[in-house]
Order: sequence, then structure tokens, then C-alpha cells
Amino acid sequence: MRKMFILLSLLVVFSMALSACGGAAAPAPSKVLTTNFLSGDVPTLDPAVAEDTSSIQIAQETFGGVTHLNEVTNAVEPGLATSWDVVDNADGSQTITFHLRNDVPWVRWNGTKVEKVQNCDGKDRMVTAGDIAYGIYRNQAPANASPYAYLLGFVLKGASDFNNGKSTDFASVGVKAVDDQTLEMIFMSQVTYNVQLAGLWVAYAQPKWVIEGDCSGKVVAAGEKWIEPANFQGYGPFTLKEWVHDDYISIVKNPFWPGSEAIPQPKLDEVVFKMLDEPAQLAEYEAGKADHVSSVPQSDIDRIKADPALSKEFAISPQLCTYYYGFNTKASVVDDVRVRRALSMAVDRQSLIDNVAKGEQEPAQWFARPGLAGAPTIETHPDLGIKYDPEAAKAELKSYLDEKGVTADSLELTLLFNTSAGHQAIAETIQQMWKDTLGVTVKLTNQEAAVFWDTIKGKDTPQIYRAGWCLDYPDANNFVREVLAVNGSQNPADEKGEPTGGFNWKNEKFEELVAKAATEADLAKRVELYAQAEQIAMVDDVIMIPIYWYTNLDMTKPYVTRTYSSSGHEAFEKWDILPH
Amino acid sequence: MGRFIVRRLLYMLAVILVVSVITFLLMHAVPGGPFTREKSLPEETIKILEKRYHLDQPLYVQYTSYLYAVFIPHFTTTPPNAALSSQDDFLLNVKIGSLWIRWMNFGPSYRSRGRTVNDIFRDNLPISAQLGVMSLIISILIGMPLGVMAALKQNTMLDYLGMGIAILGVSVPVIVLGPIFVWVFGITLKWLPPTGWAAKPPFFLGFLPSNLNWEFFQHALMPSFALGLGSSAVIARLTRASLLQTIREDYIRTARAKGLQERVIIVRHAMKNSMIPVVTILGPLFAALVTGTFVTELIFGIPGMGKYFVTSITNRDYPVIMGTILLYAVFLVLANLIVDIMYAYLDPRIRYD
Repeated sequence: MRKMFILLSLLVVFSMALSACGGAAAPAPSKVLTTNFLSGDVPTLDPAVAEDTSSIQIAQETFGGVTHLNEVTNAVEPGLATSWDVVDNADGSQTITFHLRNDVPWVRWNGTKVEKVQNCDGKDRMVTAGDIAYGIYRNQAPANASPYAYLLGFVLKGASDFNNGKSTDFASVGVKAVDDQTLEMIFMSQVTYNVQLAGLWVAYAQPKWVIEGDCSGKVVAAGEKWIEPANFQGYGPFTLKEWVHDDYISIVKNPFWPGSEAIPQPKLDEVVFKMLDEPAQLAEYEAGKADHVSSVPQSDIDRIKADPALSKEFAISPQLCTYYYGFNTKASVVDDVRVRRALSMAVDRQSLIDNVAKGEQEPAQWFARPGLAGAPTIETHPDLGIKYDPEAAKAELKSYLDEKGVTADSLELTLLFNTSAGHQAIAETIQQMWKDTLGVTVKLTNQEAAVFWDTIKGKDTPQIYRAGWCLDYPDANNFVREVLAVNGSQNPADEKGEPTGGFNWKNEKFEELVAKAATEADLAKRVELYAQAEQIAMVDDVIMIPIYWYTNLDMTKPYVTRTYSSSGHEAFEKWDILPH
Repeated sequence: MGRFIVRRLLYMLAVILVVSVITFLLMHAVPGGPFTREKSLPEETIKILEKRYHLDQPLYVQYTSYLYAVFIPHFTTTPPNAALSSQDDFLLNVKIGSLWIRWMNFGPSYRSRGRTVNDIFRDNLPISAQLGVMSLIISILIGMPLGVMAALKQNTMLDYLGMGIAILGVSVPVIVLGPIFVWVFGITLKWLPPTGWAAKPPFFLGFLPSNLNWEFFQHALMPSFALGLGSSAVIARLTRASLLQTIREDYIRTARAKGLQERVIIVRHAMKNSMIPVVTILGPLFAALVTGTFVTELIFGIPGMGKYFVTSITNRDYPVIMGTILLYAVFLVLANLIVDIMYAYLDPRIRYD
């Protein structure tokens, strides 16, 4: 009996050794990059309804638009379209005809590898103009209630009416698949950023056969679940492999992506995005279990900068967002431009950045962050906008106080921010600066975010409030016009165009300038127009205190080569892991 | 006992209904809605979104249709196809002949397109439950012996040491202990993975990890201890206090007079009777740990349900708020029912009929 047992054990050990040998035929190690998203499940992978950074990041890697924005320069590059013709029509509209490449197949992860998708006749399904038109249809269809329907709604002919249900015929929308490789889009005006918008995630191609079913029932309609790994189909440089909700998403290289100069074939085999809170991300990174962290907790910045090894892996790159304090220009006390100007000039932005914000942000002199198409830069416009100037600030306030016959400490001012330790620290610092320079005491109050966002746009918008803006698309128009102008995001108005809250502000000259800038084809002239508009909003009328331009702080292991994106979405197809 | 349980279950239904009304009214009374954004959406878009989720209807209609979807079983001949609409996903689907009985549709999540509250229950609740049960076991295994030891060796070094540890456990919360664990064992010593949870859906029997291996325990060790230590301290202090009181009772003196062995006196007589206060807190503790713990899950990057209790409220994700609160209420009421049944077992003087 015992002999038998020993023999059997030996046999087991032997067979295990054998099988281990069998598996040792070493394949090239696959390049898997581990990075992260902020904690909380990625809300959706459906480009038609995506609205947040992480959803759009995955959509951008697994699909792609007719045009593509360079992640570093934000220049427009070819995407699915290799070229396009722009025709200005006599009625003020613009027709853009996109010529698409014919070599991009739809693919899926079949559980073991990426494979091409076949149509009902067994032929490869290629990405066509019709698929893109269908994507735009889904983005605009009222039943899908897409939060970002307005991006195209503002510019694409007939889109807004279709989205509101005023028209039920999608043919009335200015998008048409002329043939498989030709997509025609009609835009309402001849603005320079039409080409940019046509390539955004709201206009990505989508697989109708997966969503609605096809081949007389052989392809079962997956409906809203089409974005789950079992159903998902894409065509970009990567495709979806796994999505464990609230835990991680993994995308794998799509070997059938033909590659182009703008969007090359990925060098990485797989990218894993773990959904973790900031400190947990950093812990994973420091434990060697992640190759990249997309953000660094503010409290760790000093330690990382002081650490000889970690400081080399730490990088600061511009991020196209602006942090500011808005004024309700019709509220008491701040309804006088001198008070607003004094408050803006009394903020020592550099000191705030060095001592409190600590992210090496850039002091903001105006609203549209440099780096956006059409936005002025500090190099070309060093004196544009507003700067820290305590003496001028005191003089402005004195002129107001003398006229009203009041003292600085009698002014009643309130600053509202949304509850957060970071905003609180910044508000307290600025409160102290105002006290030291101007002698005014500003009361600080805070509200929970969802309440706050309603408050700062309502008719009871407080005197001063915190706000921020990040790009939807990298053009100054998205900042200057879509936020500040009448009916802009932070300047709501009634039907007659009279302001009802937010900045509560209207300036005809400003409106003229930004409207003109939108259609100006000459870039240098455009920049000048936006510079003039900024000067009105920041200095003449002071509707806000621009505080800082964002930077992105992230850490990458030394063996990773990469590009640094300013749009918030990384181009992982340009990343690589070196042997280490 | 049977009648008692039935009565309590009916009573539970009433409690759940009251909880649902209060939650529903409170969440709609709070300013800000599910579609309030930093970048405000155009009014037309908000209208379309509200229509999609029936938020344009009067509140009482919304509430009654919610009750109907959750509490009333639906009988239908069409098989469930959650794929087509996130508003048609039931937790229980039973087929009898050609008839489908479908029950408990907690609705869609407004924040995650295509996902439902039931998806969260299926994917995230089991993970929280696994963590909760393990930390509860750890807290009992540490807390009870510590308390008993402290009580039996009252006012000795052992007592002070035990209670010192307990006070430390109470006063050092997970938010401090967790990062220390991560730093020491995850980053510096690299013994354990700093974050993550090894079990993922689909789960064995719907809630058990399908991979009960070293990898699973490796990930579970730190969070279970971090979470369990705090409650073990509470259990230790309660056990000590209760046992100290019990061993001064007359029947213990009688047992001693009879000449019973000290071990028998403590284990059979004193321990059993001193368990009542401990069992009382175990009920709510169980409900709290099993449905998810926000801080622990965040620190250790565990994809459990804890964060939904908080994020659903900040997102004004109404169905998720209702779902998580009702779930917690059900666990709490059930746990208290079990506690009441335990009383009768522990103390023969307690009878319910």
C-alpha cells in the first residue's frame, strides 16, 4: 500500500515537472501597462452618452473620429478620414466632405484574442460612413438622452431640433453617408472648429448590428449592454478585453488597426485601468504594481519632490483647465467694477500656488488657458489681462470707498465654494490676502456640490463664487464664448438675451468680438480678437478673478516612454514599455 | 416562536415601507438633482433626461410606481432580457411552466448608463459581504478572548494590557490604521498586495468567492484586520464588563459552592449568560459590516458596495439611494430578529410566546 502511494506521488511529481517544461517555451513577454482611473466605476463606454474623462478616455482608444486631435499640441490630424474638403456656402453654412479610409475593420475580443467581425454574408465588417452617421444619430436621438448632445447641437444643421423632438426625421440633420467612404456634414456657420467637433467622441462610429441586432436574429440585439465585454465591438488602436465594474477595465492592442502617423499601431499589448482613490493609486505605484499614476495626492507632493528616486518619475504638464472666482456683477458691493478689480488685483497668485495649491500651476491672467487654439499665450501677450498688483488694488478700492463714504471693514462680502478641503484652503488664503492688502473681511461659506452648482447659476448667485472650466474641445471658443458670453454656461439669460444669474453680465462689444473670432480663419487675427475680448472681461469689466491654469501631476516608471497629454485623455498607442 | 417570527416579519415589512417613504421624500427634498453638473446641461437635455427616467411625473406617481416595481411580483410570459433596457431588470426571475415570475426591480443607475441597482447588488454586494463576514469573524475571535481574559484577571497586568489594546483599537480608526497597514505591509515590506480584492463576479452561489485560495486571502488579510480590529475592541470591552457583572451573581456563587471546576463555571454558566449585551451589538454590527464600509473599501481599493452609500447621495442617483438604504434596512431588521431569537437561546427566562 505504502509503496503504491510513493509510486503514485512520484508519478504526480513527474507529470507536473513535465507539464512545467511544456509551458516553458518562452513567448515574448507581453507589454502590459497598469494605470488607473479615480475611484468609482467608469460610467459608460458608450461614446453616444459619455460625458466624463474616464469614459471618453476608453472611447478614444477603442473607437476614433473622422479627425483626431494631437494630445500634445491639440492640432487637428487625420483620423478615420484621410482628407476633407471644406466648402463655404452662400447661406452662411459650411459643408465638409470627409474622405474615409477603407481599411479599418470592426473587431472584438473573443475571450482569447482580438478577431475581425463578420457581416451576415461572412465578409469582414469595415468601418463605413454609415456607421459614423449612426453614431451621430444615437448621440442626438432623444430616447438616448445624451448629456453631450449639445456639442453637435450647437453647430450641426438640424441636430438641435432633432434632439428636442421638434423634428423626428433624422434626414433633416446635416449628416449624410454619400457612400461607404464619403461622409458629408453640413454645419450652420463657418466657424473654424467645425473640423475639430466632427472628430469628437459624440461622432464616433457605432456598431448598429450589435445594438439593434442583425442577420435576421442571428446577431442578438444587446441594447444598452452592448458596451459589456461579451458584446463590445470597436475599431480603434485598442479594443475592450475586460470590464470588472468598480474594479478595473482592460483594453488590448487591436492588431487590425492599420495605423497612421497620427494614430500609430500600439506598442503596448494591454493597458489596465484600475479604479482607485488617489492615495490607493500611489500605494500601488510605490509597491511596484502600477506603471503610471494619473494624479498625485496634494499631501504627497512635498515628499515626492524630496525623494531622489520618486522625484525623477514625477512630471508636471499643462492641463487645459482654469480655476477662477466668478462675480455676480449685479450683487451688492461687487456691482461696482472698482471693487471687483481691487479684489482681483489683490490676489497673489504665485504665492497661492507655491504655498497652498502646490501643483506648480501657472498664475492665470485671463480665462482661456494658453494651449487652446486661438488663445493668447504669456509669451506673445505678457501684459494681457490682470496681475497681482497690491498698490493698484488699494487705489481702486480707495476710490470706491471715498465716493461712498464708507470704510473697508464695513463692506459685506461673501465668497461661496463647493465643500472640499482643497477649495477651503485656497479660499482661506485668498481671504487673508484680501484682509492684508485691502482690509476687507470676506465671509466664507460652502455648499455641497450639487446644491452649489445650482446656486451659482441661479438668480441668487452670491457675490463671489468659486468655479472652474475644463475643455470640451481645445478651442478658445469653448472657453470665452461658451462660458462667458450671454447664454454661456456660467452666464444664463432669458429669451430676450437679458442675463438672469451667474456673471449676470452683458457687453455688446465682447459679444461682437467672440462671434467674429469664431469665424475668423486667420489664426493671428483670431488670437488678437480673443485677446481683446479677454481684456474686456478680465480688466475693463472684471467679471471674474482668474486664479490659476491647471497642471497635471503624474508619475511614470522610468522604463515607460510616453507623450504628455494636455486634454486629459492620454494617447496610449504612443506609449511603450522598455526592457527592464 | 413560529408565531413570533411571522409577526416580526410582518412588522419588518411595515418598517421597510416607512423607511422607503422617508428616504424617498428626503432625497427629493434635497436641492440639486441627478443632472446638476459643474458644466450645466442645456434645459432641453435635462428635460429629455427627466422624461427618460420618469422624473417629470408627480412625486406620488413616481413613488407608487417604484413600490410596484420593487414589492409586487410581476407575472409575464416574456423571458427576462436585461440587455434591452436598464429599466427592466428584476433581481429574482423564476420560471414556472411558460410563466415567468419576476420580482424586485430596483431601477437603473442614473450615473452608470446601462447598469442597474440590481447589477450593483449582484456584483458589489457580495464583495462587501465577504469582507464584512471575515472582519466580523476576526473581531469576535480577537474581542471575546481578550474580554474574557481581562475580566477573569481583573486589575492585573493582563487586564490593563488587554483593555489598553481595546482602547487603542477604538481610538485608532480604519482611516489611520488602513494607510499604516498599506505602508508597512504593502509598500515597505511588500508582503501583501496594497490594494484590490481577488474575488470577482460571477460568484459561487451568488455571493461566495469562486477562488478561495492564497491569492484571495492575501488580498483580504489587511482590510479584514483593519476593519475587524475596531469592532473587536468594542466586543472586548463589552465582554469584560458583562462577564464581570455575571461572575458576581448568586448562581455563580452557588456553582462555586457546589464545587464545580472553575473552567466549567466560566464556560457553561458565566459566559453564556454574559453574552446577551455582546449579541445585541453583533446584530447591527453585522448589518453595517456586510453591506459595505465606505472608508475601508476606499483605502484598500475594494470594489464593494460601501462607496455607493455615499456617492449615490452626492450624485443624487435616486434609485441607487433607495436601493442601498432599503438593503441596509432589510439587513438591520433581519439581524435584529436573529439577535432576538438568540436571546431566547442564551437566557431561558426570555420567551416570546
